[in-house]
Amino acid sequence: MRHHRAFSIISILALLFCLGVMPAWAEFSVQCPPDVDGIDTDGDGDVNNDHVCVHLSSGDGFIKMADGRDSYIFGFASHRLANSDPVVFQPEPGESRPPAESIGLPTSEGGLNLGATFPAPTIEVREGQKLYLTLSNVGMLMRPDLFDPHTVHYHGFPNVASIFDGLPDSAISINMGFSLTYFYNLVEPGTFMYHCHVEATEHMQMGMLGNIYVRPMQDLTDGTDLGYPSYAYNDGDGTTGYHVAKPLQIHSFDPNFHDANELVQPLPFALMHDRYPMFNGRGYPDTLNPDNIANQELYEAQLMDSIIEVPQGERVLLRLSSLATVDFYTVASPSIPMTVVGQGARILRTAGETDGVQDLFYTTHSVTLGGGEAKDILLDTTDIPEGTYFIYTTNLNNLSNDQEDYGGMMTEIVVQAAAL
Amino acid sequence: MMYIKNFRKLNSVLLLSALLMFAGMGTGQAKIDGLEGVTTFNFTAKAGHITTGEGNTVLFWGYADDGGHQGSLSGQAQYPGPTIIINAGESITINLTNHLPQATSMLFPGADVVNATGNIAGTLTMEAAFANGTAQYQVTYNQPGTYTYYSGTNMDLQVEMGLVGAIVVRSGTAGQAYDSADSSYDYETLFLLTDMDPVIHDLVEFGRFDEIDLTKRNAVYWFINGRNGPDTLLDPFVSWLPTQPYNSLPRIRPCENLLLRLVGGGLDGHPFHTHGNNINVIAKDARLLSTDGATADLAFSDFTQSVYPGETYDALFTWTGANMGWDYYGHATEDVETMTACEQQVEADFGPGASSHGLPIPVTLPAISELTFSPFYSGSPYLGGGSFLPPGEGGFNQNGGFYYMWHSHNEKELTNWDIFPGGMLTFLIIEPPSVTIE
Repeated sequence: MRHHRAFSIISILALLFCLGVMPAWAEFSVQCPPDVDGIDTDGDGDVNNDHVCVHLSSGDGFIKMADGRDSYIFGFASHRLANSDPVVFQPEPGESRPPAESIGLPTSEGGLNLGATFPAPTIEVREGQKLYLTLSNVGMLMRPDLFDPHTVHYHGFPNVASIFDGLPDSAISINMGFSLTYFYNLVEPGTFMYHCHVEATEHMQMGMLGNIYVRPMQDLTDGTDLGYPSYAYNDGDGTTGYHVAKPLQIHSFDPNFHDANELVQPLPFALMHDRYPMFNGRGYPDTLNPDNIANQELYEAQLMDSIIEVPQGERVLLRLSSLATVDFYTVASPSIPMTVVGQGARILRTAGETDGVQDLFYTTHSVTLGGGEAKDILLDTTDIPEGTYFIYTTNLNNLSNDQEDYGGMMTEIVVQAAAL
Repeated sequence: MMYIKNFRKLNSVLLLSALLMFAGMGTGQAKIDGLEGVTTFNFTAKAGHITTGEGNTVLFWGYADDGGHQGSLSGQAQYPGPTIIINAGESITINLTNHLPQATSMLFPGADVVNATGNIAGTLTMEAAFANGTAQYQVTYNQPGTYTYYSGTNMDLQVEMGLVGAIVVRSGTAGQAYDSADSSYDYETLFLLTDMDPVIHDLVEFGRFDEIDLTKRNAVYWFINGRNGPDTLLDPFVSWLPTQPYNSLPRIRPCENLLLRLVGGGLDGHPFHTHGNNINVIAKDARLLSTDGATADLAFSDFTQSVYPGETYDALFTWTGANMGWDYYGHATEDVETMTACEQQVEADFGPGASSHGLPIPVTLPAISELTFSPFYSGSPYLGGGSFLPPGEGGFNQNGGFYYMWHSHNEKELTNWDIFPGGMLTFLIIEPPSVTIE
């Protein structure tokens, strides 16, 4: 890995030379207007809080694979107006922020300094909210020869307009040094995913992938009457109710592709062969590490674990999705039955409608997902003794981190003492 | 300034016309090309060559329709085989002649009756011997739906080589895929998905059959209806793809229903993703997803449907623009009289305001100097709109429609033998209401 380091330094020097002018023309801006329509669309009783905002940068960086290898990535990172804000933030009530306020991107946390994270920041929003998602393209420091635009494709968003579909092949993508704000009126709850769609095979293999899910309005309105604190969908009867939710996204990397990209070599599309299967951007046992993982630059680029902790007797909602770029994966929960209650961000009832005449839920111990598929899975621990259980791919050669066995696409469910 | 603007506009128009002529695009449709109104077919299994999306030429084996019927290539092996369109209850007869260097045959999974005769009693069916052998298949389909046919001899090689096609069996009711109102559609399209390892095809071309090992197969080409992206977007029967007649570029208008007939025709599975909206899957393997046979009560919604080899799915797609939060026509609030039929339907179905009629787009779009454009971008976020784009940008979107990519989401499959983009991708177009669709 010594040559990687040398290469970074050379590239950074080259980039500093090339991009010395960037601040002069880069114009990042966030559109996050306050909610002034006087209508309560998200159902929480407050007419002024329906707007939510996310600010992502798109660039490059490094992550640490579970066997210690450094992997070059393209990726998104979260930028807030203030460092204390969460990934999803709200404009100040009554604030008269101009519609396209210019901001400077903080260089101390991501952007312009190999700040990509993997997976991309998880976006949790609620039905009825209006999402203003701004993407600022900060460029790729290790690849100053590239001028790639980027997009956010909100995968599965219903009745999307092509301008906000994030598909560069049908509409627009944002150039380096500028910002594009997407607008989504969130009317369908469910488990979605998002990714960059520019040169999709490359940018997705390189890591521009993340979780996004929309919680249903049923969470707010008399939810306790149906027996659970939260629900996957507006089921009307509590059958999708859960206590603990965990998004789990299938990822997989081909290290040859990542190295070729870092070293400015022709990209091996036809030979693409994934050897690092992951949940949420990490191979086992890193899936169990509750802390952020720092990369070779000591930057914390892997912010998401895959541990599931649940008090005995309670239900887990597994928001399982796949953004692998090559293979299908079967994911099994051998000890705790999986009840599939949704797929494709719709309840698993007739035609995906909440009032569908047939419940199509099914209970199983494994599900198979290709890229771009998502399933909502309930794990009921009512009859499960306290202890540690596993979720892993039954494509067993994928229980490895490249050459290292006993790794890969696996995580744990810890069933704890029952809540009192 | 005005002078310059007009000059640029003229330039764009000229460029647009030139591009359209060059590309042979522009008569997008939403129908299925194939052999219709015919029940006796004379097919020859023989070799030909296809052109792949990045310009390579690959040997394939295909079925040639020798009958000279509209909807196929007369006497020419084609990839995939001719699409056969018949009515439920009809019997068809296929007289197969074999010009391949090995025995071959045809299978009709899901058919109610198959009477086969031929030179050789094969393992799965009667076969036509090599060197002008013949076989005959009399096949009856009593139930409507989407079926596939393919070789029943040395299948791993022969299906890889291209001996596969689709059969559409229509219900007795026009505009319904099945005998159920839940299968009603305005337009229909067929997507037959295949995959290919050209190394095997080269070995066949050179006669090096002993070296062929299907266990080492590694597909690097992915097709919809026998074409790689971006050739999927070209017109059907373009002269420069003489063995690949079928395209895949469906078009509908807002609120219309498209029936998507998906066929797994290759050796691998493909997760097929529909941008724009979910699909409602109403049938699998030519059987309505139903407990009572009358309603599609077992239909499900998804944004990605994995299609494995040999499977077929029928799914309904619509795009209403409901609850977008802004008016996708760019109407001003006072233009109440311009509400389209679809907007009115959305208001009726989802409640007043659901069409978002008159609401402005909530964000300011970046300046054109800050963006990279698709050739399919009209220059405007609005349906039917258009605007100035920098020279050389846009130009492939005649009507200001919304383009949505429909593609394999195992993204490796968006390449043509190491070249991105291509592979298993095409577009659905949502056209403005005024556009005529065949």
